Amino acid sequence: MQIDIQHIAKLSRLFIEEEKVEKFQKEMQSIVAMCEKLPPMDGEYTAVDPSNPMRLRQDLVKPSLNREQLLQNAPQTQAGCVVVPKVVE
Amino acid sequence: MELFELTAASLSQKLRKKECSAVEITRSVLGQITKKEEQIGSFVTVCEEQALEKAQQVDKKLATGEPLSPLAGIPIGVKDNICTKDVLTTCASKMLHNFVPPYNATVVEKLHMADAVLIGKCNMDEFAMGSSCENSYFKKTKNPWNPDCVPGGSSGGSAACVSAGEAVLALGSDTGGSIRLPAAYCGVVGLKPTYGSVSRYGLVAFASSLDQIGPLGRSVEDVANLYSIICGCDPMDATSASREYGDFAKELDRSVKGMRIGIPEEYFGDGVEPQVKQAVMVAVDLLVKEGAQTVPVSLPSTDYALSAYYIISSAEASSNLARFDGVKYGYRAEGYQNLMELYEKTRSEGFGDEVKRRIMLGTFVLSSGFYDAYYKRAKQMQQKIAQEYDEAFSRCDIIVTPTSPSPAFKIGERTNDPLKMYAADICTVTVNIAGLPAISVPCGAAQDKMPIGLQMIGPKFSEQTLFNAAGCFENLCGGFGVAPAMKG
Repeated sequence: MQIDIQHIAKLSRLFIEEEKVEKFQKEMQSIVAMCEKLPPMDGEYTAVDPSNPMRLRQDLVKPSLNREQLLQNAPQTQAGCVVVPKVVE
Repeated sequence: MELFELTAASLSQKLRKKECSAVEITRSVLGQITKKEEQIGSFVTVCEEQALEKAQQVDKKLATGEPLSPLAGIPIGVKDNICTKDVLTTCASKMLHNFVPPYNATVVEKLHMADAVLIGKCNMDEFAMGSSCENSYFKKTKNPWNPDCVPGGSSGGSAACVSAGEAVLALGSDTGGSIRLPAAYCGVVGLKPTYGSVSRYGLVAFASSLDQIGPLGRSVEDVANLYSIICGCDPMDATSASREYGDFAKELDRSVKGMRIGIPEEYFGDGVEPQVKQAVMVAVDLLVKEGAQTVPVSLPSTDYALSAYYIISSAEASSNLARFDGVKYGYRAEGYQNLMELYEKTRSEGFGDEVKRRIMLGTFVLSSGFYDAYYKRAKQMQQKIAQEYDEAFSRCDIIVTPTSPSPAFKIGERTNDPLKMYAADICTVTVNIAGLPAISVPCGAAQDKMPIGLQMIGPKFSEQTLFNAAGCFENLCGGFGVAPAMKG
């Protein structure tokens, strides 16, 4: 199968340099070829293990990390907010 | 023997008998790090100051006669994808090269409660994607048995530090074999626990339905002790299993009397090196002499496991790694004109090639028009593989296979061929796909003197049975230890 690397990269929010496209293309094709070995099968699948179903917690307000701690790793902050390029005109 | 060569169990005894102090233990391990780290490269970060501080606290507790956990004062390495408060947690990626978590993972919190000493953060394949530890942004970890060989991956630093005496125990994570494979390559014991038995809160997610944190050590008892400390239900992890656990080290009876050992022919095929098959079968014969019996079992879908694994894990990774966008934490590129460019530049510069490959594979198999042919089939195959295991376990108590088809390979040997690299995981991935526990123990040496690993797989929550069988084998072969060249 022919894979459009630039298209998949775009969907993945990645940029692949021109000189690396061919290498990625070749490798992805061989990996996809391996994945194509799966036979078609009947039956549905369940995403959740019935013997250990997920328990979602209540959405309660509780003490948590403070704003300063949460922002300590952000690359750029201002007045307690993260800074990103302008997204609305 | 130097202190760094001893097991946690014997160090703990020495502490209690006042034959040594916790500070002496930590200093001995730090001394070994000073001697060997340049050659082996197990760590991204060594926590010398914090470690000595913690050891001093343990010594104070000892002096006042406070009750201590079996891990008190024991130096432990933690894989660098497990969050440690105020200690760099990089996932061996440029993307998180500067990330300092404001909180501890649940397992790290439990280590602190048990007074274990965090000695350092272990090197790994970037975002746990790899089988050789060669995909780290920072360094290539070497195998302590032969520095020309890889330590295995992705928890390569965790296995190497234990094998080199640079830590007594370590935590790794296992998505497709990432604890067991490096344990086998480095000649140590590694457990991939039942999915849901150890909290994943604070583990940087790779493939959430497969990831599991687990222990590595130089003895079965040590691994059982560490597992007893880290397992348990955690409200912070919605996939955490709600059940009680015993003390696995206390219950360790090392008996295989009457145990039925399943031998699946699919794991002893042409792809597995003859010397590996032979070492595993010699070990099985020893267990039979101790009262176990063998049963042939069949896991016919094993051939499809790698395909299903790479589809499911990459699909989940493509979604999980979407959070790394240069906004909230980690690396941010420079010179962008708009938000889209910020995302693309940051991710392209921050991720290595293997991570990009998996994100793109995941994006591809989930994209419209391809979902049914890939992801859906893989999930159906996952169910089939789990059913085949269920069926096999109706006729046996544990299943024994090689951990990997070959011993550790040379550094650089497989980096240009992703499929050849992925093949190292052929014996381990089905365990994650089915959510089962499995332990890897050393079982002899190859012609090139590199360790060979034997894998024992059990039904869900059968860790005690695995420890008993592994412990029996450990006794029969006289125990394991640090790699020969690492001895004091």
